Amino acid sequence: MAFLKHKKESFNGGGLVLFDVVQPAMQAEKVLKKADYKVRLVAPPPELRKGCDLAVEINLVEQPGIERLLRQNGVDYVEVRPLKVDTSEILEIVRVVDFGDWVMVKAANMKLTFEKESGKIVNTSGGGCPDIPVMHAELLEKRVSEAPRPGDLGYTLCSLMLDRALEESLSLWEGGERP
Amino acid sequence: MMLIAGTVPIGDMPLTFGKASSEGDSLVVEGQRIPCTQGTGAMVSAALATTEYLKLEAPQVLLAGDVGQGRGSREIYEYLVENVAELEPEVLALHYWLPDMALTRRLCAAIEKCARRPVLIADAASMYSAKAAGVAEAFDIFTPDAAEMAFLADPDATHPAYVRFMLFNNMERMPELIESAYEHKNAARLLLVKGAVDYIVRDGEVLATVTEPDVPVMEAIGGTGDTITGMVSAFVYAGLEPHEAAIIAARANRMAGRVAEVTPATRVRRVIDHFPAVFTKYLCEWSGVCTTGGVE
Repeated sequence: MAFLKHKKESFNGGGLVLFDVVQPAMQAEKVLKKADYKVRLVAPPPELRKGCDLAVEINLVEQPGIERLLRQNGVDYVEVRPLKVDTSEILEIVRVVDFGDWVMVKAANMKLTFEKESGKIVNTSGGGCPDIPVMHAELLEKRVSEAPRPGDLGYTLCSLMLDRALEESLSLWEGGERP
Repeated sequence: MMLIAGTVPIGDMPLTFGKASSEGDSLVVEGQRIPCTQGTGAMVSAALATTEYLKLEAPQVLLAGDVGQGRGSREIYEYLVENVAELEPEVLALHYWLPDMALTRRLCAAIEKCARRPVLIADAASMYSAKAAGVAEAFDIFTPDAAEMAFLADPDATHPAYVRFMLFNNMERMPELIESAYEHKNAARLLLVKGAVDYIVRDGEVLATVTEPDVPVMEAIGGTGDTITGMVSAFVYAGLEPHEAAIIAARANRMAGRVAEVTPATRVRRVIDHFPAVFTKYLCEWSGVCTTGGVE
């Protein structure tokens, strides 16, 4: 009699957490699975090896939430990288658009707009991950200097880009982007 | 049936399936109140405003609470995989969720088993997951903005945060980005690229552009891209060809922004409030369909 074989659900998340040694890789897998993240232990491709032949594959979109959880649990990892080696580095550039009484700061697919006179955030737009409407509600009507950081609250790359936009807005505000 | 699926920012809201209605500034589905803000709330509200004007059946929606950790997203995927063949929507519009490539492929496989294939529309992260999973060509309509177009054009990127071609003046390079997206099979059959110039593209060919009225501050208002996707979905459901639906939605969104006299501080609900007046004044002229009872 043949054993019934359950079909294992495939997973390709597009991101790797890289480690120097094996032990924290296994610890990371345990911590992330306990938090209900879909992950798996894999061998990293040679060009991404950091000295350890184990990596944790993650859904790259969840990078910020995963990195925060690893830090909170004291898991020592080297970096998070896209699985495809030709993928570009994470975007660092931002663009500023002057709308007269307001300034819009764009970081990748995310935009944050604040009022020059008060520093109050009047809108956020762009993105498409589930935490973005949460960030929208959390940030509106708050001054850029007092707003919570999307990087601390969010879980996805969209929130990380919104954090970049807030960081630049703060820099503009503190640097005198006001009438 | 037009079915819209996506997450809403209410952490403990269970998976909910039902007909959307509006009450004041909120959406109501099966007794659950959903704010009309950036994301699925704005998209459904725009689709609902359009179906109400056209006197069509209101959108059916499949929503789940998700604040970014993916639970609600997975419930939506799983429900659709299990039930889409039985539900047989004529239009299936996918919106905010946590991208999951494996589940996206399973969903596309389930849709292929439908006796009558729905018109398949994706925006926001459901578009990200379709591209990253390599199933973009299974979709009929994508509605990216300029930054998302750079993502579709980059064959190696799995999220707009990691793109090679990111230039914030992407509109100038749009024909090149469009060509790359189609060349690498990362585009839906029809693209409506939202930006200073809206591009309507079918199978790589630019069919039309929309530039008027020019209301640049619309870009700052969270949800004004979602409203375009909601209108496109409703106009397709009404029987318009996808490219016609895209052109009219792009024009109507701009015109509503102008009539609402928007500033960067305007909320998207105020833009949606002006859709009926814009439809009354312009839909006949733009679509050639001039009855008040709906599109014939």
